[in-house]
Amino acid sequence: MPRALGTLGPVAIFAAVLLAVPLFVGDVFLLNKYARYCCLAILAVALSFSWGYAGILNLGQAVSFGLGAYAMAMYLKLRTTPIHTGADGLPDFMVWNNVERLPLLWVPFQNQGFALAAGIAGPALMAALLGWFMFRGRVTGVYVAIITLAVMVVLNLVVIDQQAYTGGFNGITDLGLLALFGHEFDAYSADVYYLAAGVLIAVLLIGYLAAMSRTGLILQAIRDSEDRVRFFGYDVARFKIFAMTFSAAIAGLAGMIYTVVMEFASPTFMDVPFSLAIVIWVAVGGRQSLLGAAIGAIFVTGVQGALSESQVFLKSWSLLMGLLFIAVVLFLPRGIAGAAQDIARRLRGAAPDPAAVPAPGPTGGKA
Amino acid sequence: MLDIAAQFVTGLSIASILLMVALGLAVIYGTTGVINLAHGEFVMLGAYGAWFAQTFLGLGLIASMPLVFVAVALLGLLTERSVIRWLYARPLDTILATWGVGVVLQQAVRLSAGGELRYVAAPHILDVSLDLLGVSVSAYRVFVLVVALAAFAATWAIIYRTALGLRLRAITQNREVAQAFGVNADRVYSLTFAYGAGLAGLAGALVAPLKSVAPEMGTAYVVDAFMVVVLGGVQSLFGTVASSGLLGELSGFIAYLSNDTIAKAVVLLAVVVLIRFRPQGLFTRRGRA
Repeated sequence: MPRALGTLGPVAIFAAVLLAVPLFVGDVFLLNKYARYCCLAILAVALSFSWGYAGILNLGQAVSFGLGAYAMAMYLKLRTTPIHTGADGLPDFMVWNNVERLPLLWVPFQNQGFALAAGIAGPALMAALLGWFMFRGRVTGVYVAIITLAVMVVLNLVVIDQQAYTGGFNGITDLGLLALFGHEFDAYSADVYYLAAGVLIAVLLIGYLAAMSRTGLILQAIRDSEDRVRFFGYDVARFKIFAMTFSAAIAGLAGMIYTVVMEFASPTFMDVPFSLAIVIWVAVGGRQSLLGAAIGAIFVTGVQGALSESQVFLKSWSLLMGLLFIAVVLFLPRGIAGAAQDIARRLRGAAPDPAAVPAPGPTGGKA
Repeated sequence: MLDIAAQFVTGLSIASILLMVALGLAVIYGTTGVINLAHGEFVMLGAYGAWFAQTFLGLGLIASMPLVFVAVALLGLLTERSVIRWLYARPLDTILATWGVGVVLQQAVRLSAGGELRYVAAPHILDVSLDLLGVSVSAYRVFVLVVALAAFAATWAIIYRTALGLRLRAITQNREVAQAFGVNADRVYSLTFAYGAGLAGLAGALVAPLKSVAPEMGTAYVVDAFMVVVLGGVQSLFGTVASSGLLGELSGFIAYLSNDTIAKAVVLLAVVVLIRFRPQGLFTRRGRA
């Protein structure tokens, strides 16, 4: 399969670079930062799958990420050394809020297997329900964007409001360490970096397998012309629900690792600016390329980090990011990946791929 | 009884702000199909405009309103000419580009005016309480309601009673045919966008005395405004009024029964369900394709 080779070749190079990083970087603080970028890249891959491949612009992608992050944080909070917690291992913020017994929702999170499964299955279930709700009613385009955005705002409000159960505005802090197979993951170590990078590589591979499968092809067909696929007799809604669920599961996984890397979970993991930032990374990297999306996330957050730490751009970096983003939307609608593909094609002396140019449909409702 | 009347008046006050913020968005989205995520930032700029006029020019709120309208409208025009007009064929991409515009505006304000909260005083003549339905309410809130209704009337008149409005409606129905009849769609879009931005600015000036003014204040408004527009039906100005009334009253009453956060969450969920079953909006027969 030369097509598979053409796609997976760059992924292999990317994977090699990722895995080589700790050989050259000894600073654990730097590694922690890179692990963070990897988590965000996983999240970007998730959005790229639903947006770039299935045409579902989910502006609330951070919901899945946040749910995953909170699942992990709840588990790790219950594992903190008793110094930080109240009687019977009750989390400190619950003590401050006069909660006397561990809430029922929290009880199963004492079990590692349950917590890890919940971090993936919870977001997936929620996305499946929301997808069922939207796509069975043939909600498309802008309305999908607005509904997903609204659902996220609701969840964010509830999490902040229910302080006694969620830690409210402060989120969940003072977490224990994650131990997998008897090995503890310190946030400031090469281990956590390998965990995040390894999952990123695995997610890229699984994502490409899914995208190149029959289902993946039908999803791309739905993206390009939903009605035609429906006329062929496919159950369009079912495929879209799958795409959204799959994407949410990956985003939940990203959120779980993010909590381990950051050592806290906060409502900002599922607020509007963060969720829109995910869209930005994917758009900059190239929405129709999973690898592009991952690189976009690393590039944008990396530049953001570098600019915000430099003295010169300390105050103007978000201004620059906004301008960069406007420029990408205007001049590089297919992102870095699209530009790279065009250059590669030109080097080979072939004409640009006409199918790759997003043609506005009659309603212009795709993207 | 008095409680219910009080809640009704509170709801009316929320509704008038919603209407004011949503009106500009309804005009822009209904005509051009552009999802303007920078709308909240235009509102924020309007609030800063009022603060600037008060602090540096010594102008009262009412005197500064025309200035704010014109200034934000010009900025809207600039945005449309430089960014939006390249994206009419890709409406979903306008979400992304206008978000970028919003980030730039927010940071520009933070850099020039500072990130701290600013306060704008309500006009002195409105520093009294009025009696509305047996409920004592500040005259300023009544003033906001009156301005919102006036802005709505003006918008309605522009769209249905002027030559520009006629062209605008023609383009909304069928851009190509309208252009074939000699309508300059580019120009109409620019003016529409500028007008919508100006309205947002006006809304910002109006809410400035009610809330504190901060660079990030716009984010909350843009989501609410979208809910109003979508619920009302994209093509229907009266729908926008009706849905801001409905959402305002709903938030007022649920907030009375529980708290503000729950009210907001319930209202948003209700809107989500309504969009699912009536994507064309509650108050229209046919929506934009």
